[in-house]
Amino acid sequence: MADTPNTVSLTIDGHEVTVPKGTTLLEAAKTIGEDVPHYCYHPGLSAPAMCRLCLVEVEGAPKPMPSCVTTAADGQVVHTQSDLALSRRRGVLEFYLVNHPLDCPICDQSGECKLQDYVHQEGRDHGRSREPKRVFGRDDFGGDVLFYGDRCVMCTRCVRFMTEMEQDSRLTVVERGNRSVIDTFFEEGLEGTNWSGNIVDICPVGALVSKDFLHKARAWDLEHTPSICPSCSQGCNISLHTRDNLVQRLKPRENMEVNGWWMCDHGRANYEWMNHGQRLEAPLVRTEDAVRAMGWKEAVGALLDRAETTSGSVKAVVSPFASNEDLAAVRSLVDALGGGSMVYRMARADAEVPMDGFPILARRRDLAPNGRGAEIMGASRVGDDDGVGGLDDVAGHDGVVIVLGDPLVDQDASFGQSASLFAYLGMHGSPATGAADFSLPITNFAEQEGTFTNHEGRVQRFWPGLRGPGAAQPAWFVLGAFQAARSGDPAPRSAADAFAALAASEPALAGMTYDDLGARGAVLNETVSVPGG
Amino acid sequence: MSDAPFKNPGWAGNTGEFDLTEDEVRGDDFVGSRPSGGGHPSVSATYPYMLAEKNPDTPLFEGAYKERFEKILTRYPTKQAALLPALALAQEIRGYVSPQSMDRVAELLELSSAYVRGVTTFYTMYNKAPVGRHLVQVCTNISCNLCGAEDVLAAFLRYTDTELGEMSEDGNFTVIEAECLAACGFPTCVQINSRYYENVTPAEVPKIIERLKAGAAGGDV
Repeated sequence: MADTPNTVSLTIDGHEVTVPKGTTLLEAAKTIGEDVPHYCYHPGLSAPAMCRLCLVEVEGAPKPMPSCVTTAADGQVVHTQSDLALSRRRGVLEFYLVNHPLDCPICDQSGECKLQDYVHQEGRDHGRSREPKRVFGRDDFGGDVLFYGDRCVMCTRCVRFMTEMEQDSRLTVVERGNRSVIDTFFEEGLEGTNWSGNIVDICPVGALVSKDFLHKARAWDLEHTPSICPSCSQGCNISLHTRDNLVQRLKPRENMEVNGWWMCDHGRANYEWMNHGQRLEAPLVRTEDAVRAMGWKEAVGALLDRAETTSGSVKAVVSPFASNEDLAAVRSLVDALGGGSMVYRMARADAEVPMDGFPILARRRDLAPNGRGAEIMGASRVGDDDGVGGLDDVAGHDGVVIVLGDPLVDQDASFGQSASLFAYLGMHGSPATGAADFSLPITNFAEQEGTFTNHEGRVQRFWPGLRGPGAAQPAWFVLGAFQAARSGDPAPRSAADAFAALAASEPALAGMTYDDLGARGAVLNETVSVPGG
Repeated sequence: MSDAPFKNPGWAGNTGEFDLTEDEVRGDDFVGSRPSGGGHPSVSATYPYMLAEKNPDTPLFEGAYKERFEKILTRYPTKQAALLPALALAQEIRGYVSPQSMDRVAELLELSSAYVRGVTTFYTMYNKAPVGRHLVQVCTNISCNLCGAEDVLAAFLRYTDTELGEMSEDGNFTVIEAECLAACGFPTCVQINSRYYENVTPAEVPKIIERLKAGAAGGDV
């Protein structure tokens, strides 16, 4: 019997399970690690129970029940793997293969295809249908979406996503019976939608595929690294899918408190810069007569020597694409060199792009992942909504100038000419970085471990999916080594160390550890007002 | 038309509540035409498949048709629910449901165009392309098939000189196959516009065609 009126207890495959009232059998089975095959059911969408694949045996029920819409009841005895359940699902799967082409070798979904998985798991070893399969060919839906009608299993997840989540009913089922096919209003397509890339993710088969990813990599060759989308301050949880040390695509990663199962098309498409070449690969140090590439030890030594003799206040320019650890390292460097100001620049879109069906999710106006983190570290925002300008007083500053990550593309070669020390920690050189006394190559977020703080103050971790180019190192590592050599304290050996030091010194992050943040993140202890945010 | 308050006349015979005469319901003519106002609200939307003048460029829902469209809306709790009769009316006006008609209906009923397209294409009684003045639907389902429906179909195609589903050159005929017309006792059954022709044999086809051609200018036969 139920422990409290709000839960029910039942038996699934011999296991006693207690779940909240209203839980479906499919979700209840998940709690014991049993993934009942399903197509039309998606936890973020309504369940029409039309794919008929999630049939399970419920003792006392006259026929197998669709587990995605059957709610758990007290004392129910459910078998997901009984002969009855398996034979019914095997029959349904055979019907799916009547028309589904066996073009797995040229299908992008191969390796992450639910039809492949389920047939392999519990389908027949060969089909009995000898009828010709119906053929639709493919249809360019516009945006990033390409539709292969032959592969479609008519689960209508995409139709329901567009209706319930994006709330722009562009997709529908056209025709009936075995001629039915997903389509838009004739040539209307998906142009102008902001979230339609998600229908590629939720398509259980290879019917909806990404044009950008088309024939680019096989699913089993990709490594998945949990990360945070850097395209706006929402901080959607994503996976970097990498191969050959290149990001091949971005996929959303479930986090109900941030982005659900979704991410926007803008963020999804914005990854090429992570693979960009032309990077700074070795520390460049200006000596008496020339700019010379050095090893890190030598370069940090030279920086130490210069730091002893410099004078004047410090002006730092940081990037909202830098991790909290990197920003904290710059802040402590600024403090160690006698104090000064920190500024950052960030592009801002004209308007938010909300996802109507999941109100906490939107593409935010701030087009960088860690503007909030920069604010917490004491940086103030300068420049305009294109993320340029606002550096006039830094450009001609006669004290110490430190730049982290910001490539200064809008500045000219006079930037930092009059500085007593100009240190540039970045990924790319530009005319404005030519005057730098130290050009130190650092890794981008995809190449290092760290944390971002999103618009609502949620601190979230990301992991390295790529190897950095040449000698590039995370900024916290470089500056940590510099500080350690200066003070004699031990240098941080890992991003977790750097974060621990940050948590100890910054009240907003007090008590947080990498272990606690895990893959889901945690919200800041205090709210920080972000100007204009 | 009666000003009596609305009562559902039903379709299964006079239950005693039926206070409309057949004339009021159907108009003065036999099945196949109706008053341009559509009759009483209770039936204005419910006539099955109809063909009126076929002019693909006629403005939708204007004049008397606008009144009828609005009459249809009063029958349903939501605008979405009026979709099927609205599409039927659009087909009656233009002869088929064009993409432009779907778009207009979607706009009027506050639905997405894609959704309206999905509904339109689901139902076989909406013509998705222009059809001839006489739409010949030959049942080729089991009973009719056993009694030679394929030959009847072939005869219609030969005497109208068309391909299946195509419109004849003079614009008079489109011949299509139909699944069961629910007249299995009278095979082969052929529905031409809204009339049933029962026990049709291939030999009778030329006579039917001639009769249709003779009346082609004068509406339904």
